[in-house]
Amino acid sequence: MRRAILAVTATVAGLVALLSFKTHSSERTVAAAQPAASLPPGERAITGNVADTAYGPVQVQVVVKATKIVKVNILEQPTSTQNDLQIGQFAFPRLIAETLSAQSARIDTVSGATYTSGGYVKSLQSALDNGA
Amino acid sequence: MATAVGPRALLAAIAAGAAAVLALWWHSTLSLSGLGGWLTGAGEILGLLAGYAVVVLVLLMARIRPIERGIGADRLARWHAMGGRYVIGLVSGHALTIVWGYAVTAHASPVSETATLLTNYPDVLMATVAWFLLLGVALVSARAVRRKMSYETWYYLHFYTYLAIALAFSHQFADGAAFTSSLVARFWWSVLYLLVATLVIWYRVWVPARDFARHQLRVAGVRQEGPRTVSIYISGRRLRELAAEPGQFFRWRFLTRDLWWQSHPYSLSAVPSDELMRITVQDVGEHSAALASLRPGTRVIAEGPFGAFIPDRTNRSVLLLAGGVGITPLRAMFAALSGTVTLIYRASTWQDVVFQAELDAIAEARGATVHYVVGSRQDLGGDPLSPTVLRRLAPGLHRMDVYLCGPPGMTGTAVAALTEAGVPRRRIHFESFEF
Repeated sequence: MRRAILAVTATVAGLVALLSFKTHSSERTVAAAQPAASLPPGERAITGNVADTAYGPVQVQVVVKATKIVKVNILEQPTSTQNDLQIGQFAFPRLIAETLSAQSARIDTVSGATYTSGGYVKSLQSALDNGA
Repeated sequence: MATAVGPRALLAAIAAGAAAVLALWWHSTLSLSGLGGWLTGAGEILGLLAGYAVVVLVLLMARIRPIERGIGADRLARWHAMGGRYVIGLVSGHALTIVWGYAVTAHASPVSETATLLTNYPDVLMATVAWFLLLGVALVSARAVRRKMSYETWYYLHFYTYLAIALAFSHQFADGAAFTSSLVARFWWSVLYLLVATLVIWYRVWVPARDFARHQLRVAGVRQEGPRTVSIYISGRRLRELAAEPGQFFRWRFLTRDLWWQSHPYSLSAVPSDELMRITVQDVGEHSAALASLRPGTRVIAEGPFGAFIPDRTNRSVLLLAGGVGITPLRAMFAALSGTVTLIYRASTWQDVVFQAELDAIAEARGATVHYVVGSRQDLGGDPLSPTVLRRLAPGLHRMDVYLCGPPGMTGTAVAALTEAGVPRRRIHFESFEF
């Protein structure tokens, strides 16, 4: 029993030490990404739901003028690894361009970023549903 | 002389591997953000450690000869049992912190996040099944349940661990941030798993099969040694190539209709020759009772030799201390050792004393000494193996190497008495057979 307590304590202490030595980024404030007040008249921002992917959550915001999608903001994207960031940098501009030309969430996934694309489409669809 | 890997070397290697695993996490993680980041980070570390520790556990039980010889099957089994409990903790901690961490990050409830993980994340469902399998194996290994179960049932249920490891493997690469981003990490992780799998197949399947074909072991005869004790003689070819030493044991599998599916560890009770080996078994369970009726000619698979209970021949002065059926490996050592050798043989009745004629003959031929300490504690008037008695029976005891084999209770008291009599702990050697 004493050995078990020791093992658990040592593991937890080691975990906390390792985690606290890792650099910490400030928590992302989702709402502040695109304050609605600064939008030009006639445009409104609709925030999509957070969509989970294997690499982390994706959340988008669409800016709509009347029924036209004029802009897509990425509020949240997988950032846990360098590769996640690279994939995001590569995939999101393409996904956004596709969205603007298709004017819907029915777009092709970007190859090499299947999960990220899936999360993007899911969050985008929920935003469009919310706005409808 | 066979090579041996000692406890320190093995523990150092295991620790170095764990450090490499932590370095892998450190390297693959950019930064943590908020509570979700903390929890997910903890979950990743626990998961990586679990994925590593589970193959270490398999490695400990892979019957790798140099490790068995340097550390001893008994100690490996204890490490494995301790490590097993730890791994269950790691895996459970991993599952819980990952769910919680993802839930915090995604602003979802832990319940809906669990559902998301199970349905949306690749291979997480399989890994969850693996987790439950491991919990099941842990449950049947818990002392209370284990006692109600036959050794074989428990043993075969343990094979579900392999299934669990296989089921849990793919989710590490599909979902683990440390692996999705790095081909190098995936490569070395695969190398680790393949290496352990190869060692398991090599030492648990190939080597026994090869030895079976090479040595052609068969039961040569069965001899009743006492009312509850039988010796089994096993004949074979080129047995010297096995390099078995007195004090070591094999895992024996007798190929009869009733016994082929069980394998049991029994020590050699005589110095093996090139054609003949002997084991001696006390009737304690169904299996040992069945051995008395073995027919000559029965084929035998012997896996081994195992055990770190091997005399260190540099010390010329040796005490062998046997309790009950613990005499078997010491009987073999007694015949093999030269120098000043004293054997103390503790038994509760004269009926339980086996090999008396052999032991006396060896003692006479070698100029060695045998003391029989027989009777209950009351008959003998006090502790039969007190420090004073031990010093009297084995003069110069504090300079001797002591080899001790007996039931667990006797081992404990004897180690205490020997220490009190001035024998340094590192010169007291014993192996416990409780598994």
